Amino acid sequence: MTRIKRGYIARRRRKKISLFASSFRGAHSRLTRTITQQRIRALVSAHRDRDRKKRDFRRLWITRINAVIRGMGVSYSYSRLIHNLYRKQLLLNRKILAQIAISNRNCLYMISNEIIK
Amino acid sequence: MALLCASTSAIAIFSSCSSERPSFASLKRTNQSSFLGFFPVVALSKPSSARTTTLSSSKRDFRVCCQDLSLVPENQRWMFEESEADGPDIWNNTWYPKAKDHINTEKPWYVVDATDKILGRLASTIAVHIRGKNLATYTPSVDMGAFVIVVNAEKVAVSGKKRTQKLYRRHSGRPGGMTVETFNQLQQRIPERIIEHAVRGMLPKGRLGRALFNHLKVYKGPDHPHDAQKPVELPIRDKRVQKQR
Repeated sequence: MTRIKRGYIARRRRKKISLFASSFRGAHSRLTRTITQQRIRALVSAHRDRDRKKRDFRRLWITRINAVIRGMGVSYSYSRLIHNLYRKQLLLNRKILAQIAISNRNCLYMISNEIIK
Repeated sequence: MALLCASTSAIAIFSSCSSERPSFASLKRTNQSSFLGFFPVVALSKPSSARTTTLSSSKRDFRVCCQDLSLVPENQRWMFEESEADGPDIWNNTWYPKAKDHINTEKPWYVVDATDKILGRLASTIAVHIRGKNLATYTPSVDMGAFVIVVNAEKVAVSGKKRTQKLYRRHSGRPGGMTVETFNQLQQRIPERIIEHAVRGMLPKGRLGRALFNHLKVYKGPDHPHDAQKPVELPIRDKRVQKQR
């Protein structure tokens, strides 16, 4: 067998990987073995959190709506609001309701008064 | 894209909201993030097919197109205007507070008198206000809550036999270093610690929780040194917080 040097093949592969980790902190963007490991962890987090993101935002919207709705009257709550929404077949989703709650609270009060009846 | 299928009743409600838009914008505080209080003129939704004649532009821009504006009632014409959307897109991005939305010097201060109030119920309301969970702008990662002052902390009440039976424990870390005190003994020694212990247990545990805890100010007598902050009476919605005599 003739002697074969590996040449620049490994370096090219590692350069691609280190481009991904170029904004990481400390040794995580400087040392090749650490770069490979941190890249894998970063991609795993991104994959898992793409699904978590949907859950987290829905949670945040629900909490924000609940906060505003509970200020409306005694024993009025998010659960009753959603029940009324479904009863009147109003298809507003929680994201929009939360944004309405922040930007234009009286509008949300008007909506909830309409659907209480 | 969020295709809102708002029913016609919702569109009517939105239009009635929009007609009162100027009064809300003037009431809102001006130093909050730009879009707060401003109900945008961007097209909300694709209304029912009876009104929309061109759906081909659905991917390019989200303005509602209608060739025949005479079919649209007067107060809903704003949805079809070709106005430029000024300000951030509030329907596709969830609001997140900027630095000027949580400046400590502009947060409200509340004061509450703890005389004859049930400890846990009072602490629960305080924790809610400190954390900011009663606000529409609640964000779990940002301190949006208010400051709360508690006065007359030594007069807080508990029901049942808790005065003599409720135990407060602490451990120094060394073997045999557990100290146990009853409610009465702690109230004689350091009455502020009772309310602080109760509220700290109801705030989140973590860096933000520890920072929130510093927004609670508990005092023994009836006065407090925070008159300059002009504290307001804390609105308590719990009906059973007052001890029945």
